[in-house]
Amino acid sequence: MSKLVTRELSKAFSGLVAVNKLSFSMEEGEILGIIGPNGAGKTTFIHLVSGILMPTSGQIEFKGKDITFSPAHERSRLGIARTYQLIHPLENLTVLENVMIGSVFSRGKNLKEARSAAEAICAELELDGLGRDTSQLTILEIKKMEIARALANEPEVLFLDEVMAGLNSDETRQMIGMVQRIAKEKRMAVGVVEHVMGVIRELTQRVIVLDSGELIAEGPYEEVSKNPRVMEAYLGGAA
Amino acid sequence: MLKKQSLPKVAAVAAIFVAIILWRPTVLIYGLQAAGLYASIAIPMGLVLGIVHIVNLAHGEIMMVAAYSSYMLCSWLGIDPYISLIPVAIITAIFGFIIYRLTIRQTLKAPELNQLILTFGIAISLTQLANIVFTSQTRKMSFSYVSASMDIGELSFGIYNFVFLVAAIVLAYGLKFFLHKTVAGKAALAVGQNPRGAAIVGIDVDKTYGLIFALACALVGAMGAMFITRSAVFPSVGSPFTMKSFCLIAMAGIGNIPGILGASVLLGVSENFLKAFRATRGWADIVFFVLIISVILGRSIRGKRA
Amino acid sequence: MKLKASWLAAALLAVAAIILPAFLGAYPLNVARSIMTYMALAVSWDMLLRSGQISFGIAGLFGLGSYASALAVLRAGMSPAASIVFAVLFAGLVAFGLGFAILRLRAMYFSITTLALMEIFRIIMHNLHDFSGGPEGVVLPAILFNGEAKALYWICLAGLFVTIAASVYFEKSKLHLALTAIRNDEISARTSGVNIFKYLLIAFVATSMLQGLMGAIQVQSYGFTMPDTAFDANFTLLPLAMALLGGIHSTIGPMAGAVLLGVAAEWLKLKIPYGHLVVYGLIIILVILFMPKGLYGLAKDKFKKSHDNRVKGKLS
Repeated sequence: MSKLVTRELSKAFSGLVAVNKLSFSMEEGEILGIIGPNGAGKTTFIHLVSGILMPTSGQIEFKGKDITFSPAHERSRLGIARTYQLIHPLENLTVLENVMIGSVFSRGKNLKEARSAAEAICAELELDGLGRDTSQLTILEIKKMEIARALANEPEVLFLDEVMAGLNSDETRQMIGMVQRIAKEKRMAVGVVEHVMGVIRELTQRVIVLDSGELIAEGPYEEVSKNPRVMEAYLGGAA
Repeated sequence: MLKKQSLPKVAAVAAIFVAIILWRPTVLIYGLQAAGLYASIAIPMGLVLGIVHIVNLAHGEIMMVAAYSSYMLCSWLGIDPYISLIPVAIITAIFGFIIYRLTIRQTLKAPELNQLILTFGIAISLTQLANIVFTSQTRKMSFSYVSASMDIGELSFGIYNFVFLVAAIVLAYGLKFFLHKTVAGKAALAVGQNPRGAAIVGIDVDKTYGLIFALACALVGAMGAMFITRSAVFPSVGSPFTMKSFCLIAMAGIGNIPGILGASVLLGVSENFLKAFRATRGWADIVFFVLIISVILGRSIRGKRA
Repeated sequence: MKLKASWLAAALLAVAAIILPAFLGAYPLNVARSIMTYMALAVSWDMLLRSGQISFGIAGLFGLGSYASALAVLRAGMSPAASIVFAVLFAGLVAFGLGFAILRLRAMYFSITTLALMEIFRIIMHNLHDFSGGPEGVVLPAILFNGEAKALYWICLAGLFVTIAASVYFEKSKLHLALTAIRNDEISARTSGVNIFKYLLIAFVATSMLQGLMGAIQVQSYGFTMPDTAFDANFTLLPLAMALLGGIHSTIGPMAGAVLLGVAAEWLKLKIPYGHLVVYGLIIILVILFMPKGLYGLAKDKFKKSHDNRVKGKLS
């Protein structure tokens, strides 16, 4: 069974259609690339799936269960986690506490269990200095913390919204390795939004391409990148 | 633009109004007069809150300062409030500008909560300072023109208080003109929508905030001067108006200045409706609070759905 | 080690507070009671503030507790002790019902609505002449413990202890994570599984019960109340100023602020009988402008800085 399925999912903001009848599915253990030009509706789509926004029409199913209108915190408990394109650190909490929250509230662990779970996740991501305030972190560390926070939910479906943005090439390499390891070890379905096509090519088995809220192509990256409609969307009709 | 669904609502409101006029004409007359006072004090706050998004919980206290200033000018020098209105407006404008420079400016970038607590502190300080300087005694002046009245058939009523309704209408449409037709007004709109963007296109954001805040203080100051012709002055006289103004702005929708007039009529008429009967007179004050809560909640629920 | 030391200090302070009446006369005990009442209100206000919600309605719940307790004795013939329990439950129930509506609101909308609710409670008590005594209020047949100053001190202290215990629990349990997350970033909190409404409701109901408790203790200790006393704006203003001065988002900050301002207020009341409250207004302004973290926050930063320097010194 597919982990996550959407059917004809749409979202309109006072007339403007941001996501238009989008149907897709994600399978266990796959890394899916979500690409498209700016304003294509990638982030809105993740907002819909994670429950930050409610859809105008359509349906979302998680492991066969209808979650179209479930609140965000319930989806997080079911096993959908995400990071944010614009980082959202909780600045009055330490790094460790930031990560613990998912264990406590999504997994229902007590503080002690959550602490050791969070420490284990951070160790896995090679993130240390866990007693620090989030204001003291580097960009790479913040991105790692965001991923650690998502992993603390122990998700089955994980969306990474531009986690590579702002990283240098070494850091990007490190991050790619990390995402691959996570997806493999935890048998997760991972959706990756990224603008750097090199990352998408290396990381994903399959991509979906959005343009003006519509799904215009789907398949392996090599195939999709030669699709004339995709080239047109990226080049604005010049091709 | 009238939507189809709102037609029955409009018809119902109109029907209620006609019924009230026929049954108790004074409810409508005094309701409109009260509405004028509420609106004329709320509109300057609507400018600050709705256009440049500064929360000022000391709004009513600025009016109180103006009322005392005008009271003193009148009792010492015998200047009629309608003449002292201009110097008083200048005094409160300067006063407001100083408050802006010294305090509010520092909280523009801080969380909104800081502004809320800060202006709450300013409100308390001003009320208590007035308490120290003027004591809590109520002061009232009487003017001959206030007792002007009118007879229609058997009905006799005071007409003086309609002056506040006129003032409110002048303020609402004057500000609308200011915001859409003048350079300073357009700058204020731009700053309110996007301070950073406004700075990029060369608008002096800080100056605009200061100007709008001072302008609002001048307007509410002028209203404070007029206020003493109708009501007594005491240190806490302004605070209920802060809340009422806030409520009216929330009812009209933040940024909709002429809408404040409509909201005030609803509030004024409903209050006077309850005041018209002995049994419900004591409950008139509650109308406002029930309105504010239902309006704020209604908006938040509708906002959720959108 | 450090943790144990702070528990020990807290225990010593508690013991000192309990045995204090042995050394004080009736007047200082009266002052102490008033400070303790404000302290409990300041701490409870801060507990909700940790979620980012500013309530201007402390006096509303306090007054509601007062009236619930007084009317339970007068109209339902409850014993004073039972009436205090009743008032706490009643305040909690009212907060629970109201919470479903007003906890959807944020920032100034929440604040203004809490202020409006307080006024509604006051007007209701003002107008229900036959039931609540109208503007003249109600007089109880007897004062708790026959007005014995020491006993009244201890019951007020008990109310304060309950409040502090609740606040410490808020700080040490997962409520701390939930409320801080809500204050910092609601969207992020939701994706980490925090049910925002649930935790706001817990905080709102709990703090309302504490405020109701202090109101009930107050009315049973004085034996009378009326709308203008029970819903006195000072019960909102003073706790707010105390918590801000001492340092928000902590238990110790509001407590320290209450002691400082409470003692200062007694002195100022004698110096400037009319308008001594101006000091509270000015403190609110100055603290927001120059010391938004309060005294406790300032001390914590200082300690941290010197600690960091020491660590750096050791490394180099």
